[in-house]
Amino acid sequence: MGKNRAKKVKRAWRNISTKEFDDYNEKATRDANSGGSLASAPSDSLFVVDKSTDVPVRRKIEKKREKVLRFESVLQRNPFVKAVPSSILKKLKKKDKTVDLAQDASKDDDKKGPESGKFDIWDDQGKVNIKGKKKANPSLIPAVEVEPPGCSFNPENESHKDSLALAVAEEMKKIYKKELEPEPIPLTVPGEPVTEDDRYFLEVDHEDDDDVDEMDEENQTEDQINEDENRKSKEKRITTVVKNKRIRRKEQQKAEAEAKKIKDLSKEIDSIPDILQEIAKEDEEKKNRHLRRMVAKEERLKSGPPRLGKRKFEPAPSQVLLTEEITGSLRKLKACCTLARDRFKSLEKRGILVPSAKRSRLV
Amino acid sequence: MPKHYRPAGKKKEGNAAKYVTRSQAVKGLQVTLPLFRKMCIWKGIFPRDPKKKIKGNHQTYYHTKDISFLHHDPLVDIHRDIRAQDKKIKKAYSKKNKPRAVRLEEHKPTYNLDRLIIERYPRFIDALGDLDDCLTMVHLFAALPTLQNEKVEVKHIHSCRRLSHEWQAYISRTHKLRKTFISVKGIYYQADVDGQKITWIAPHSIQQVLTEDVDFNVMLTFLEYYETLLAFVNFKLYHSINVKYPPMLDPRLEALAADLYALSRYIASRSKEQDNHELASQVDESQLTLAQLQHQLAPSEPGALMHLIEEAETVDEADEETKECRSLFKDTKFFLGREVPREPLLFVITAFGGTISWEGDGAPFEESDPSITHQIVDRPTQNHMFLSRAYIQPQWVFDSVNARIILPTEDYVVGRVPPPHLSPFVDNEAEGYIPDYAQKIKQLQDAARIMPVPEVGNEHQDNTQNIVLDGVADRIEANKAAEMKKKMSAGQKQFHDELKMEVEGVSPATGTIKNVKVTTDPDESDKEQISEHPDMSEMTMSRRKRGLYESIRINKERKKAKVDVIESRKRNIKESQK
Repeated sequence: MGKNRAKKVKRAWRNISTKEFDDYNEKATRDANSGGSLASAPSDSLFVVDKSTDVPVRRKIEKKREKVLRFESVLQRNPFVKAVPSSILKKLKKKDKTVDLAQDASKDDDKKGPESGKFDIWDDQGKVNIKGKKKANPSLIPAVEVEPPGCSFNPENESHKDSLALAVAEEMKKIYKKELEPEPIPLTVPGEPVTEDDRYFLEVDHEDDDDVDEMDEENQTEDQINEDENRKSKEKRITTVVKNKRIRRKEQQKAEAEAKKIKDLSKEIDSIPDILQEIAKEDEEKKNRHLRRMVAKEERLKSGPPRLGKRKFEPAPSQVLLTEEITGSLRKLKACCTLARDRFKSLEKRGILVPSAKRSRLV
Repeated sequence: MPKHYRPAGKKKEGNAAKYVTRSQAVKGLQVTLPLFRKMCIWKGIFPRDPKKKIKGNHQTYYHTKDISFLHHDPLVDIHRDIRAQDKKIKKAYSKKNKPRAVRLEEHKPTYNLDRLIIERYPRFIDALGDLDDCLTMVHLFAALPTLQNEKVEVKHIHSCRRLSHEWQAYISRTHKLRKTFISVKGIYYQADVDGQKITWIAPHSIQQVLTEDVDFNVMLTFLEYYETLLAFVNFKLYHSINVKYPPMLDPRLEALAADLYALSRYIASRSKEQDNHELASQVDESQLTLAQLQHQLAPSEPGALMHLIEEAETVDEADEETKECRSLFKDTKFFLGREVPREPLLFVITAFGGTISWEGDGAPFEESDPSITHQIVDRPTQNHMFLSRAYIQPQWVFDSVNARIILPTEDYVVGRVPPPHLSPFVDNEAEGYIPDYAQKIKQLQDAARIMPVPEVGNEHQDNTQNIVLDGVADRIEANKAAEMKKKMSAGQKQFHDELKMEVEGVSPATGTIKNVKVTTDPDESDKEQISEHPDMSEMTMSRRKRGLYESIRINKERKKAKVDVIESRKRNIKESQK
């Protein structure tokens, strides 16, 4: 019994865990190895607060760049020396750009705010005033051209006659132009079609012409042969006498030519004033021509646009009342009602639009 | 692209580098041709005429810088977005996904042209100077019928009507209208706003015919821009006279198509309220300054004080011409017949200070009103004639306005052919030829000026004005050498001279002006002499000036020849009549 009990107790003892002791031993040995327990140490010694700003690792080149050169240090030390910008113009441009950006930003704000046409767009307060320039008009022609007094609904007799004459002249010009044009190719030609027999005869005639040509060629070859023979007979040996003669003659000619040259030169020198006069005359003519051209061009631009595209600008016919249409009453006025066309033509006339072809309206 | 890099085959300088053709530009911008045309119109970019046309004579050329200017505009991007959205919507519809299409439609990007307006017209005065085309276009579209196949919608026409009426109401309220001319094409108006002469045409109130050579897409693009511009201009102008914009109109009058009248009533009521406030403050201020001045000035100079007060009064008043325009129809009351064009007359008569009514509902007063002085009619028979008023044709109004005097009404009585309607835009003296009726009007004007018209309120001021005007009249008379007139005006002159002496005692400034004017005459005669003997001065002129001079001379000769022809014709006619 006693033995049994002892056995039981021993077993119970064996069941008690020794983990605590094991842990302690392990910890103690680890601390001993690392040099002290961490729990007892203060937090400052364990962690360091990184107060320096985050600096990336510098490369060698950057380090080199940072180096202040001697001339720079000299300049830096002198407070009276100011840095000169490379180009003033460039800088100004940049400034303008920034202003534009600022404006754009303010515009964006506006988009959400007031509706279009319901705020003062030219209000300078609170906005950066851009020193923009108004765009120049493309032509000298005014936007709204006032018609001559003859186009009044109740015109004065004389001025009406003038305007009417102009309108009639325009119409007549058109008619004359049409009359003077070459006749259009007729769609049908009167007469009979060529029969096959006739065509054969025509071809025969053509063949005859070829024969004549051949004959000519033969004649030409004969001529060439004759010429060659002549050349051969002319080529003879030259004697020394003849040679000397030729040399002497050459020299003589040379001397004569020189004398002539000198004579001519002196003549030319004598005629310098004349030449100068001629040049002046030519210059004057040139100037006049230039002036005339300039004036003509300006005149042309006043009456119409330059050629801007495929088609030429055609002015609208002027609107004048006929003599029998003048009643003097506003109620009975037979007014023209094509102001839309007038505006369109005006745009074309001022060179804003390119004249286009007539298009047919789909109705 | 960096500056130094140039692709192969691209030119560095000259016309080949400066100009591109339209198709090149469209390709470079990566936009469609319709959008390119729209952008050009909005941004104010126009085709150029280079000296050398590299790609041929049949092409349209644009400046490279203009194209790059277009390239940087945000509107191009917005339009690309719109196009992309349109494609999505179309796709959704064709997939029968209607809710998606509707949602996309709602979130379609929008654009406005406000930025372009400030870009093209940095100052308000620039916009005013370029308003001619804008006003004409808006007035034209206000009279157009809606066109289904041209995409001219009711919306456009209504907004144009509103804008044009707003503009007219402002002009008539501030009395800025100067000239009118009824031509076959339409009615020309000229107003003077802030020193800018603005001319526009309003079509006659008849059905407009649309010819086939008008591209309405282009016109509508212009219109879109002009509508925005005119709205901003109207806003600025309305605020300058202390009226709220956009105006709220009486719906009853609007329904009766009397928008212009409704507008003018609105403006009158608004500015009256404002005026009352301002007047009160102004009176206080002026009294204050007066007291201060009295302290400063010595008591022996009452004249100087008077002068100062006068100045203070005239500062807030408008210039002389406006004053003249305002008081032209001051004592007249008009009634319009049913057959006369109501809107132009309403505009013109109120612009010159008259009161007006018409037949119909909502009119300010009835036809039977005894205070009406003029009834404007245009048909031969009347139902009931009032003896107290003059029955005249509408041309009378326009002629009186151009002449700035109230013309005698005998010539304009109903049933008679009125005298010719002359154009006020022609300078008769420069042209050399003066029509008979213009001469008659001139005589009437001179007579009206010489006639002393003393007013109760500010008599003193008026007299000084008369003297200045008289100076001008004197010069004209001297030129004409009308002896009869001189005899008549001798007495008047004496009277005015006396008055002038008086005024000079008060304000010597006007006297000096007079002196200067007198001395200008010999100068002018000298000029004429020079023009007759040009040989000496021509030698010393520069080339350009000589050309200019030549052209002026030729022009003068032409004009003279023309006048001679007309006069000889007239003489012949007279002789043949005898």
